[in-house]
Amino acid sequence: MSLRFGYGTNGFANHRLADALDVIAELGYAGVALTLDHAHLDPYDPDVKDQVARTARLLAERELAVVVETGARYLLDPRRKHAPTFLHDDAARRVDFLKRAIDIAAGLNAEAVSFWAGVRPTHVSAEVAWQLLVEGCAEVTAYAAGRGVAAGFEPEPGMLVETLADWDRLREQVGPDLKLTLDIGHCRANEPEDVAECVRIAGPHLVNVQIDDMRRGVHEHLEFGDGEIDFPPVLRALAGTGYRGLVAVELPRHSHAAPDVAARSLSFLRAAQWLGDALDRLAADPAAIAVLLPAARRGVGRAAAEDARVRLLHAAAPGRDEAAELYRYGDNDEKRAVLLACPDPDLLRDALRSNDTRLVAAALGPGARDLPDAEWRQGVLKSVFMGLPLSGVDGLAQRADAELGRMLAALRREREAAGRTMPDDAVDLLERLH
Amino acid sequence: MRIFDPHIHMTSRTTDDYERMAAAGVRALVEPAFWLGQPRTNPGSFTDYFDALIGWEPFRASQYGIAHHCTIALNPKEANDPRCREVLAVLPRYLAKDRVVAVGETGYDSMTPEEDEVFAAQLQLAREHGLPALVHTPHRDKVVGTRRSLDVVKESGIDPGLVVLDHLNEPTVGEVAGSGCWMGFSIYPDTKMSPDRMVAILREYGLERMLVNSAADWGKSDPLLTLRTGEAMLAAGFSDDDVDRVLWRNPVEFYGQSGRLDLDEADTGATFAGNSILRGGS
Repeated sequence: MSLRFGYGTNGFANHRLADALDVIAELGYAGVALTLDHAHLDPYDPDVKDQVARTARLLAERELAVVVETGARYLLDPRRKHAPTFLHDDAARRVDFLKRAIDIAAGLNAEAVSFWAGVRPTHVSAEVAWQLLVEGCAEVTAYAAGRGVAAGFEPEPGMLVETLADWDRLREQVGPDLKLTLDIGHCRANEPEDVAECVRIAGPHLVNVQIDDMRRGVHEHLEFGDGEIDFPPVLRALAGTGYRGLVAVELPRHSHAAPDVAARSLSFLRAAQWLGDALDRLAADPAAIAVLLPAARRGVGRAAAEDARVRLLHAAAPGRDEAAELYRYGDNDEKRAVLLACPDPDLLRDALRSNDTRLVAAALGPGARDLPDAEWRQGVLKSVFMGLPLSGVDGLAQRADAELGRMLAALRREREAAGRTMPDDAVDLLERLH
Repeated sequence: MRIFDPHIHMTSRTTDDYERMAAAGVRALVEPAFWLGQPRTNPGSFTDYFDALIGWEPFRASQYGIAHHCTIALNPKEANDPRCREVLAVLPRYLAKDRVVAVGETGYDSMTPEEDEVFAAQLQLAREHGLPALVHTPHRDKVVGTRRSLDVVKESGIDPGLVVLDHLNEPTVGEVAGSGCWMGFSIYPDTKMSPDRMVAILREYGLERMLVNSAADWGKSDPLLTLRTGEAMLAAGFSDDDVDRVLWRNPVEFYGQSGRLDLDEADTGATFAGNSILRGGS
């Protein structure tokens, strides 16, 4: 079962809502996480009912599912970010806002409404803050249950409830109608478990998932690939929990480049999902590498294909015979991956006999250590002959010897006789060896 | 006129053909794996051939701006040779390749039990790999062979919309028209079909699920008979859009079901694995 990817409209803050929905739908997302905000379905607008009806129609026309997010920064208070929260003296305004959000969610047929605790104000004690939070959540959760809307509470770094363990404690006191919104990035920032394990723990309670990259200890929503999360096993774990709701990209600080970021994000997520599923399949059936290796480019795209293939090969850990078969039946992209991941000397020799610069380059990587000196020198000479940069030859400085110098000098003489030149890096090496 | 030849054996053709085809409007083609006019005697002979179908041949085509795809299978004629049947074991490796858009040619030659078995097994491979299937109908006893092929397709459980029965003619087209399978016609200089006979069939049966190919190979054949058929359609009163549907959109729709058609302009360089088509060059 495929995950359903969505995109958060708070990452399209510079777009009209209808335009944002157009772009998100055109890119192929299955839904949106709609942050109610001053320019995007403001719950305090006098004509909010009409806006809800219009938005429901826009979503339906674009076949987009929706969850409602309530993290707008200055919707309630133009001076204090996120205020008031459950933990402020005027918490009733937060509760009123969340009830409006629940009404809107019901009007949009949203899959969930999401909310968080807030940062504890310094003048409020921990005990009082917790009491306020439990009371507020109980009221909101009951209201949501009455409207048939799933209430997803999101642990948020720096807030009173910031981890899954905190959320668990809150749920014990509020009751089972308090469900969970999980931000995958937060798991990397501040959970003790690894991200895939967090997802497995969270699985049974999930009604909403946000996704982004993040670094340990830093609550900054990053584009995929800019943080530290290894997404393929995380997405596999998420699919494995049976969660069928939206998995919406949460990049609220990327609105300036929203269409491009959203396009890249979906490509990344689809590729990560393919790779996660492929790794899972290999864990159960290592022989599946025979059909996964050729399919990798279709799964993850051309640019990421080689890394994916190498990773698949490491996961499948083929024996010498199977590696030879993968090489034999592989096209030259697959052969390259086998040379990088399973550098058997016989395969390296085959590659060095070829006229394909990419194979020759791959054969002179770290795996070439096991080649006898004479063959290695011939490989280096051939790579110079083919015009490959010597920077790609592993361990060149340590292994280059006088005999290699003699061979390069001979090549230079031949080139000079023909009125041709040697590449600069080969000349440098030659002079160093003399 | 843009032309997609859904069945042509370019391995047997010269660069002159590629040049003429490109000039005639051929922008894409599918080369089915078939027999080479002389028996093969071991599976390695097949796999080297398959490697050419996914490697060297797409490169050659790209030098003329033509997008090359292929189908992979053990052909019905050689399915009868136990030395060749071993190749079935490695087919899954090839069916996973990027430019492989169907299982084929499979089907019947002499309708032997061996052919039954290999045909059924290869339809299952098509299902497992989510690929269409290209079914060759026999040269001899064609009507019976076509009926029997339809039965095997039905039994296999594959969606008939994923199957083309190829080399049809007037006696066999009626059998396939109501089956939901696609109908393929090979236009040959003397045998099989001619452009005018093809036009008559299109008049009678319509344009839906119709594929027209040259099936040009190592025998007497002509890669431009797709173009000639398009011209005959126009002369007979079909519109430019009708011709585009039969010669381009239909094959794109059929093979597009593989999810692997790549019709972007070829971005290949001037060499394949370090080798070029310029004799005397590098």
